[in-house]
Amino acid sequence: MGQAFQAWACGIEPTADMNPVLVKPLGGGRMQVMLRGELFMHVGPGTSIPKDEVMDRVCESYDLLCRDYDRVVCEGSGSPVELNLMEADMANIGLMRARGVPAVLIGDIERGGVFAAVYGTWLLMPEDVRPLMRGFVINRFRGDASILGSGIKKVEELTGMECLGIVPYNHLRFPEEDSLSSKGGGIGSGSIQEGFVRNLDELIASAEETGLDFSRFDEISSARGDPDRLNHDPIADGRIHRDRHPIHYEYERLRVETRAACRLGRCGSRRRFPPLPLAFEPEAHSPSTSSAGRFIPPEGIRPINRPVAAECA
Amino acid sequence: MDSIKAKVSREIAAGDIGPDRKCPYHPCHFRGQNCSFCYCPFYPCGDEDLGHFVSSRRGERIWSCDDCLFCHRDGVVAFAYGRIRELGLEAGDPRFLSEVFPEAKRRFWHRGRALMVVGATSDAGKSFAVAALCRIFMRRGYLVAPFKSQNMSLNSRVTVRGAEIAMAQSLQAQAAGLRNADVHMNPILLKPKGDVVSQVVVEGEPFADYDVGGYYGEFVPKHAREIVERNMGHLLGRYDYVIMEGAGSPAEINIYDRDIANMRAAEIADADVLLTVNAEWGGSFAYVVGTLALMAPRDRARVKGIILNNIRGDPSRIHPGAEELERLTGVPVVGIIPHLDVDLPQEDSEAFRRAGSRGSGGTRITVVKLPRIANFTDIDPLYLQDTTVDFVETPEGVLAADAIIIPGTKNTIRDLEWLKESGIASVLGEMRGRVPILGICGGYQMMGVALHDPNGIEGGEPRDLEGLGFFDNESSWEGYAKITRRRHCELLDGGGDVEGYEIHMGTTEVREKPLFKVTAIGCADEFEGSVREDEMLYGTYLHGVFDKPAFRRLFMSKAKGRGGEAEPADLEDYDEHVDRNLDILADGFEKGLDMGALARIAGWGERVPCCSWARPPALGRPPSTRHTAGISPRGVRGSSRSRPPTSP
Repeated sequence: MGQAFQAWACGIEPTADMNPVLVKPLGGGRMQVMLRGELFMHVGPGTSIPKDEVMDRVCESYDLLCRDYDRVVCEGSGSPVELNLMEADMANIGLMRARGVPAVLIGDIERGGVFAAVYGTWLLMPEDVRPLMRGFVINRFRGDASILGSGIKKVEELTGMECLGIVPYNHLRFPEEDSLSSKGGGIGSGSIQEGFVRNLDELIASAEETGLDFSRFDEISSARGDPDRLNHDPIADGRIHRDRHPIHYEYERLRVETRAACRLGRCGSRRRFPPLPLAFEPEAHSPSTSSAGRFIPPEGIRPINRPVAAECA
Repeated sequence: MDSIKAKVSREIAAGDIGPDRKCPYHPCHFRGQNCSFCYCPFYPCGDEDLGHFVSSRRGERIWSCDDCLFCHRDGVVAFAYGRIRELGLEAGDPRFLSEVFPEAKRRFWHRGRALMVVGATSDAGKSFAVAALCRIFMRRGYLVAPFKSQNMSLNSRVTVRGAEIAMAQSLQAQAAGLRNADVHMNPILLKPKGDVVSQVVVEGEPFADYDVGGYYGEFVPKHAREIVERNMGHLLGRYDYVIMEGAGSPAEINIYDRDIANMRAAEIADADVLLTVNAEWGGSFAYVVGTLALMAPRDRARVKGIILNNIRGDPSRIHPGAEELERLTGVPVVGIIPHLDVDLPQEDSEAFRRAGSRGSGGTRITVVKLPRIANFTDIDPLYLQDTTVDFVETPEGVLAADAIIIPGTKNTIRDLEWLKESGIASVLGEMRGRVPILGICGGYQMMGVALHDPNGIEGGEPRDLEGLGFFDNESSWEGYAKITRRRHCELLDGGGDVEGYEIHMGTTEVREKPLFKVTAIGCADEFEGSVREDEMLYGTYLHGVFDKPAFRRLFMSKAKGRGGEAEPADLEDYDEHVDRNLDILADGFEKGLDMGALARIAGWGERVPCCSWARPPALGRPPSTRHTAGISPRGVRGSSRSRPPTSP
């Protein structure tokens, strides 16, 4: 249902390709899996969805849309880094990997801890897809946004992601995912569509007032990555500069070396999940938002040709 | 002094009596207290760690020890009686102060230890976790107090001494078995007045209004640290343990050095820290990893455990993720707590902001959801009855009511204007006389005939507003003065006790028949509230007016609908209801926590409980045979690596 409204926002009619996999809970842990509008299978506790087969069909839909449209905006599902779900993930990391889709992370500041959420999500993203994380947005903000500046800057420096803007908390009403399905024949009715698009225009206007820059989204989407080069080195690519992002530059340098060390077997254990995040230790007595400090590599890993602690130049 | 001497003599003769449950005031301090020395044989000890000097009305210096709990500890009492026997001491003997007290202090007085619960977000379940820990520590016989340096809350309570503190700390004090919460447990209280400005209440007194920039730019650097040190010090001098609650996230890096609510408070108290996260929401692992990664290493080193809270469904599904989290962060997961169904007063959480309706009982109670609603926990006891409680913001919502409540508010003048603009005011006029209508605090002020704010205290500019006209009362806001006090009352026609507390700016000239008679000692001819019985109009300043059964029964009986015919036996005292639920909460946490890890972190092996009588654990097993609850005997992890990988 969400995709139906998103389609109308684009001024087009929704099609099954826009939401190729739909999972409907039937109760008691059982679910019905629809694939491109048709019933595919039932799953229950103990059975699981065959990931490869489903991903193939998802990519078919995705490729169709990319062929027919200039831009495709994909919506993720939940958090991409639920540790116990990451292996089977299709909606987030699965799609990013399969097609090299660049991504923007939305953080909800209303509950607090948004910087932790953005940084933590970025840290937990698998290494091969992490370079696809290009930007973040802070959503549902109330009050005076100027107080966020130093925190945003710190997160940008740590991750290399760009803050694309702050969206203020809004009281506009959008239809809930689940509530619509129970209302049945409301789809396509003129008044709901118009009301939705009107609310959307208001939201866009208020977001642009607080600095949300839609042209940046456009630039990010046109830089769609080549899936064969997913493990690329953002330093070699020129995307990260030592001057503009001193912390992140250092992090990337250490990360590349850490990964190389792992491959050479110079680390504590084999890993399936991303390596332990490198810890950043700020210089003693410096304010927490300064970039002075050094990275401490995870325990047990000896990067090649470097002493254990690397200094920030 | 002579009568005190006589009393101490009697106490010496009586010997160690333990807790005196026959005393009508028991427990006047804490559950399990030793009552042998109702009057302390060491008075006046003059020890600034335990008490302080105050000036009497005549300007004399008097030793005040009303916060002291030292002589109620079993160990102290046993020791004192031993020395009394050996030395043949009688009341007034100087050796009490010269010999016995210094020795007792040396042996039994130690500074408390602090344990802090921080949350990766708001609504992580910190408040309930602290309440559960308070109850768990109390069950083991420790003297424990809650603490939150800074709380932003619309639900506040009033202590016995008339100071305003947050609801959560009052609830946690109850969980700890303390009779009286006190202002030291919540020295800084922020009461939001809108989106940007808050009233800052320090140690119970309104201090000033600040916006966010002013608060972090001016108030915190100049005042906050000293306030926290003083109040923390007070508690650590009197309790075995202080369980601290954080506020928001400890990793708000834009204000990190100025955040007195989280890690700076932990540093002042030298506390070990537990990080909780609401695992029901998406991304909880990311929040934990990100929070720890953004903390300064000296603060991160304090974090000794992670609690995954509020898990829906089967908790064992989260084990693989929890193990991975431990491996990634180096911090053990010490608690996997399922969603617990407890009925306890809530903070003003997001859950309330979206709340529409609760319950599906026979009587429909409509509460007008004023934009700046405050103390909505006043309504909680009504959920115990056969009610459906709706929070409405439109006139249509009010029409379906069997009974209407206009609740308290942070800004009466502005909300009265909203009431009129929204059309609810005129609907209330129509409903008048048809259903019972109760106004509490701000709502009560609105029911009057006029409201005067000549200095613009509530409304910004000076206002004179017409009220709803239900009562012939006039309210006015003269100065920036606030009334906070507890009141013991009874229904006027001898119909039972009412207990509550007042928190309001503004005073009311009452020209109606009163609703309650004040029964507190020394308040001979005082009355409270207003009533017009034939029109079923009620008004009172008392928050908590429904806690005791009498007024609850009266109000419900006036409402049409099935719920009005409640049997007297059905009306539970709300305080007992809350206490029962605190036990349920603590039981749930004991099951989900790695109790061995908790014991190690808290250092239970090094601290002798103050009460040799410890309340038996609710699960019915004696403490010595209880193995560590949780996933496995050694917690989630197979290996016990407890050092974070980041220490060089």
